[in-house]
Amino acid sequence: MTPALAMPPAGFNPVWLMPVPALLAALWSGWLPAARWVTMLAALLGLALALLGAHDILAGHDLPTLQSWIGLDALGAVFALLTAFLGVTASLYSGPYISHHLAHSDDARAALRRYYVYFNLFLASLLAVPLMQQPALAWVTIELTTLFSIFLVGFDSNRPALEAAWKYAVITIMGATVAALGFFLLLWGLDRAGGGPQTFAALAQASAHMDPLLRKVAFALIIFGFGAKIGLVPIHTWLPDAHSQAPTPVCALLSGIEVSLILYVVMRLLPVFISLPGLHLEHWLSVIGLVSVGVAAFLLLQVHDYKRLFAYSTVEHMGILMTGLGLGKIAAYPVMLQVMTHALTKSLAFYAAGIVLVITGTREIASVRGLLRRRPWTAALFLAAALAIAGAPPFAVFSSEFAILRAAAAGGDYASLILLALFIIIAFTGILIQANRMVFGEPSPAVAEAVHGPRGLQWVAVLALLPVLLLGLWMPQPLAQLLQAAAHQLAGGLAP
Amino acid sequence: MSAQVLLSLNTLVAVLFLLTAFMLISARQAQAVLYLYVAQGLLLALSTVLLALHFHSPELFIVAAITIAAKPIAIPLLINRLLSPALRRRRELSTAIGIPSALTLALLLSVVAYAVARPLVAGQDPAATTNLSIGLVVSLLGVFLLAIRREALPQLFALMTIDNGVFFAGIAITTSSALVEFAAALEGVMVVMIVALLARTIALTLGSTDTGALDALREREDKP
Repeated sequence: MTPALAMPPAGFNPVWLMPVPALLAALWSGWLPAARWVTMLAALLGLALALLGAHDILAGHDLPTLQSWIGLDALGAVFALLTAFLGVTASLYSGPYISHHLAHSDDARAALRRYYVYFNLFLASLLAVPLMQQPALAWVTIELTTLFSIFLVGFDSNRPALEAAWKYAVITIMGATVAALGFFLLLWGLDRAGGGPQTFAALAQASAHMDPLLRKVAFALIIFGFGAKIGLVPIHTWLPDAHSQAPTPVCALLSGIEVSLILYVVMRLLPVFISLPGLHLEHWLSVIGLVSVGVAAFLLLQVHDYKRLFAYSTVEHMGILMTGLGLGKIAAYPVMLQVMTHALTKSLAFYAAGIVLVITGTREIASVRGLLRRRPWTAALFLAAALAIAGAPPFAVFSSEFAILRAAAAGGDYASLILLALFIIIAFTGILIQANRMVFGEPSPAVAEAVHGPRGLQWVAVLALLPVLLLGLWMPQPLAQLLQAAAHQLAGGLAP
Repeated sequence: MSAQVLLSLNTLVAVLFLLTAFMLISARQAQAVLYLYVAQGLLLALSTVLLALHFHSPELFIVAAITIAAKPIAIPLLINRLLSPALRRRRELSTAIGIPSALTLALLLSVVAYAVARPLVAGQDPAATTNLSIGLVVSLLGVFLLAIRREALPQLFALMTIDNGVFFAGIAITTSSALVEFAAALEGVMVVMIVALLARTIALTLGSTDTGALDALREREDKP
């Protein structure tokens, strides 16, 4: 029994209500005049609650655990905060974007209603993931995020959107189901080691008494299953489809935080596996990560669709994170930093791409040329987003990628260092070549005839750009403390 | 019923369960696949009830109830409503490799999965020995089936075979409420996926005979 369990269930904390505003907003979204505003208000309330949770943790208040079901620690708080922040920008972006998107649609009202209901349900399920203290509940909430995002990926109901949604549903549900068997095995191991509450913490504690073979099989099932859901190579093919076909604000949430939240559940399970004799978990993580970064880097060179470009970059970044986890304790803080910078920057990238899509009406990189001549502000935003996600200084991703590379050097893992640096440079080149073609040169017909998009989109993109730029130059003290606390917790599951 | 009878019955069910997975790999007709899926769901539910009696577990009775409601009843009914008679009779569902080589590979996979499961269950409850080994084999066969089928409907059945295999293993080793959570969530997702996506996706990948659905789709695509 953990001390937290001995506390009365009266240990109620408003932070537990983090997903509730979005859930209520989903009920209200049926009434269209209010849907947009209710959605924004709910996202803001979610952010306020996440900030409250982060504040309590920094102040040293131990957030009580509700019946060993729900709780929040520093690691969870970082993910909750990022999810809530992306929820706010995505909900602000949704209003003008989706109205414009549906302007010529026959049944715009029904589609609009559908969008807001699923958007809010999706956000609520995302916000619930970091609160779950039991692997089974975390798995269920992850499955809910998949469920609601299936509707959003297939939102356009045309052939490519439906194909993407089907692929997404089949492969990620397959992954979740295979991972479920891994979870069953771990719970069985926990039972045999003496039982107790089925929390992540109890699993980690009991892991020393579990059969090593059982843990190995569970690890294989979970890394295969959740690897498919994270979009790691070779089961990444669904990701560029799904993350480019969904409406843009949903792409920002899917690529920015949804896949990271699945990685978060893997992070929470790492302490169970790290002590396995003869498995060398860290090597497995590094190899899986490097393969993903490498394959994604080369794929980035040959994409034809700029939304897919940023989706492939998600495969690359998930690979970087896995490689970072493989580097061990020394990379714990850089990995947490990278989780944050990737989430903030990837959402910005999609917001910028969404504006280009709205004004030109095409996703083809080849059809978009010379944005700078006709739409200097959009061009500047897009270029900044591309530079930021590619990892150019002074943007935030540069500092986190550099920190991971430095950790590899400090840890003496030169193979990872050289390969990772090489792949990051290739990916950088790939993204910049494509962005360069779109921004500079003579305007193409699609750009010359570009329409005026809703002005709100640009303001949201600027809002999303601010933290990406600021955090590259200066890290606020409380945020650094929170990341450090999370890194300390993460390090418990990493190799020395 | 004595413990011995329960366990023997459960072993029989497990053997039949494995058989349905192999038959799914060789099935070439949508209707046959559907019947096999119903049989598989019933066998899973039967094993759940037997193990619920064996372990005296109320949670397993709930899982059995969810299984019976979803797998042999609700999901086949939903799918049946979506499939036109022409589609149901259609032969030659396309596979990436031929049926004989698929069966050979499946057999090899089963041996590998069984070899992994054997030491895992050594010295454990006999129910866990049977169910974990067979469940692991069937879920692996499901992943294999998913890899070789190209059309929406067979892919869905492959997915549900993985799901069946995982739960066949799960009911013998996890008797807590966590299993109920997993079962409810997965069945919910499957049902929604069928309702929300399958009908529209069938029109894209399987429904070359179903012109009504294709016309509706083409019309939508032509819109700006």
